[in-house]
Amino acid sequence: MTALTKGLHTVDAGLLIGGFDDPVQQSQQLFRQLLTVTSEPGRIETVTATSQQPDGLNVASWALALSLFDADCTVWLSPSLAAQPSLISNLMFHCQTRLVEHADEADFAFCNAAELNSLQGFSFGSAEYPATSTSLIVQVPGLSGEPCWTLSGPGIETTRSVRVCGLSEPLQAELIDSRHRFPSGIDCFFSCADQLMALPRSTQITITEKEA
Amino acid sequence: MSQADGYNFAYLDEQTKRMIRRAILKAVAIPGYQVPFGGREMPLPHGWGTGGMQVTASVIGTDDRLKVIDQGADDTTNAISIRRFFARTAGVETTEKTADATLIQTRHRIPERPLKNGQILIYQVPVPEPLRFIEPRDSETRKMHALREYGAMQVKLYEDVARFGHIATSYDYPVMVNGRYMMCPSPIPKFDNPKMDRMPALQLFGAGFEKRIYAVPPYTEVKSLDFDDHPFEVQQWEGSCEICGSDHSFLDEVITDDAGSKMFVCSDTDYCRERLAEQSAATTEEVAL
Amino acid sequence: MYVAVKGGERAIDNAHALLAERRRGDRKVTELSVAQIQNQLPLAVDRVMTEGSVYDPELAALALKQASGDAVEAIFLLRAYRTTLPRFGYSEPLDTEAMQIERRISGTFKDLPGGQTLGATYDYTHRLLDFKLLAEGEQPTELETDDRPLEPCPRVLELLNKEGLIEPSPKADARPRDITREPVDYPAERAVRLQNLVRGDEGFLLSLSYASMRGYGDSHPFAGEIRSGRVAVELVPEELGFPIVVADIALTECEMVNQFHGSKTEPAQFTRGYGVSFGYNERKAMTVALMERALRAEELGEAVNYPTQDQEFVLSHTDCVSANGFVSHLKLPHYVDFQSELEMIRRLRRETAERDGQTEEAEV
Repeated sequence: MTALTKGLHTVDAGLLIGGFDDPVQQSQQLFRQLLTVTSEPGRIETVTATSQQPDGLNVASWALALSLFDADCTVWLSPSLAAQPSLISNLMFHCQTRLVEHADEADFAFCNAAELNSLQGFSFGSAEYPATSTSLIVQVPGLSGEPCWTLSGPGIETTRSVRVCGLSEPLQAELIDSRHRFPSGIDCFFSCADQLMALPRSTQITITEKEA
Repeated sequence: MSQADGYNFAYLDEQTKRMIRRAILKAVAIPGYQVPFGGREMPLPHGWGTGGMQVTASVIGTDDRLKVIDQGADDTTNAISIRRFFARTAGVETTEKTADATLIQTRHRIPERPLKNGQILIYQVPVPEPLRFIEPRDSETRKMHALREYGAMQVKLYEDVARFGHIATSYDYPVMVNGRYMMCPSPIPKFDNPKMDRMPALQLFGAGFEKRIYAVPPYTEVKSLDFDDHPFEVQQWEGSCEICGSDHSFLDEVITDDAGSKMFVCSDTDYCRERLAEQSAATTEEVAL
Repeated sequence: MYVAVKGGERAIDNAHALLAERRRGDRKVTELSVAQIQNQLPLAVDRVMTEGSVYDPELAALALKQASGDAVEAIFLLRAYRTTLPRFGYSEPLDTEAMQIERRISGTFKDLPGGQTLGATYDYTHRLLDFKLLAEGEQPTELETDDRPLEPCPRVLELLNKEGLIEPSPKADARPRDITREPVDYPAERAVRLQNLVRGDEGFLLSLSYASMRGYGDSHPFAGEIRSGRVAVELVPEELGFPIVVADIALTECEMVNQFHGSKTEPAQFTRGYGVSFGYNERKAMTVALMERALRAEELGEAVNYPTQDQEFVLSHTDCVSANGFVSHLKLPHYVDFQSELEMIRRLRRETAERDGQTEEAEV
């Protein structure tokens, strides 16, 4: 087994899995789904992507990484994900991405919902440079159209109901509160198995039902 | 599929597309904010649609049907040139029918036929900064946007009212997006501004040489600036289209002789064609009866 | 009945055919080869490479041929090609001190270590048309060669630096931003300004630097040193860990010495302006150095009074491809916007006329 040293992390060739079969077309298709969910917050898309994923990532998260990441962007992993050598090797091999230690340096951050208690530590961008914020990809145990949150704002004709499972109450409160900081803010993608949903900073959230 | 040899699908390399795609997602998340991006040199001159083309190249896929219009028309040389470019480099299907298109790249017009959810309208933008002719410095306009300090624009428009009795801006008429960002709608006639408001389609804007991308998600409020005593109004024509008889579309003026005779025709060629087809179908039906 | 102008597709094809015909010119005259352009119009090639940001004399010559000799069009062709090239890595900073000097002059010292080398220059030619060149025969040149080994040529400005008479070279940023991949943000750091200037239109920068020396800018420069010659380009491949030479390129570098600055607490020192260009484009290297210095006004605490010192004004407008694109886009149809303006101006005039009519009536 060979290990190529690359910065702080290493690529372990034995842990590598395949990426997209057709990177050009599949990246485009996945991007279009990302564009759809971002422009219509709360809408859930099912991705068809790879047969295998690195340990720790679900299908949708891995497809997002393959589609969007490269050497020009920085990525932060929540502690349990950072402890997955397969994930690190595959991210570095397939995406040449730069992994960072500090969340506020990251363009993208992968988190498991259970590990995400606060948005603090991520970059919100600034009023002059709102696009320099961190985009979160949160892996959640469930996503559905059942009422729990009522969303409104750009991309939503009237309102849209959605249930994002596994987010702690303080985090939900912080997400709602962070809307006041617009245009600074954090855009979230929620992924569950092969499902994907987005919650950009422009979306207003009202809690209609507490999660059981 | 007839992709140009030696070039990637839709011309741009994948790394560039990813960079643009990341910028587009940010733009959609912050409606009306101009996201700086590493605009690439395109094989067309700046100001000829390179921004729109970079956005189209990053969005387009094999399942798309692309429509390209310039001045509302599918058959202007620049529209043809851009449509050919993508037919050649991406091998995608092209169409002139607004209703059939999944992607529409446009310069200076919004089609007359209302767009549907799921369609994407991509605007070519020469100067993306609505405040540019008030403040030429980017470092200053950036601050004005950050502080939502748009008084200078109101003053400029009001100076028109004082001098002419109207707001004299007739195209590239500034709008407010979702009540937060002032935005250039690109040089469309103000006639088209109301179509942007709560449009079911996604609107993406690409400014190539100014290196900015911005967006308006579907169903987003887009309000043209005005004053209580001088509400926003659109152009009106006394006549109607000489070809299809439309009295509600944007009309181009055509000079027909040396004596200055003129006529008016629809600027949206597909809309005009469609109306004409409907009329001839109706006539045929009458005859059949 | 009016018929909308159609047939754009055929018009475009025909325009391209006509263009090819005009480019070729009279077929009784032998076609110009790319090799001839590359070898016999080297200064045109150098300009295209410098502003095109690709060091490839053959492709630059091809671009010139394709563009019928129009430098701006040729630069555009090369730029558009450049965008599609994959990036393998970043070279080490060029060591121009180790340049194989072909020309080296200093306007500040009569003699200096390494000496002055005049090299190939138009400087002292009397600008008289050489009608012998019309005769098309080869003119043998008698070249006096000097086989003495070159003495080391330390940089002139470093000689001043040893005495502390000139500010130290401004410190380089760790990882210079790449303006071809990231948008420029103002105020821009020095590496960004320099990249922009080197890619900038030669004519625009020449005129601006001229203006800065004529009072529109507080510029009093001396040509400290201009050197031309060949330099090795080195790259450190990640797997090797040591530099290897990947290319040998011709380069011209100019270092300007500018008016001193200082204060009651800081001793007076000269300041610097740096310029570089591919090939033997000395004019370009000099204008870059002049404008580089002019744009340092703010950082050196000088009053920014003129456009030549205003980085957002200068840097936003240097690029010939952008400038040409935007000016030439006026050739595209604008009839929708123009129609909007027509409608507006007619309405305003109608209203004025009505108002005047009313006033007249009132007066009657």
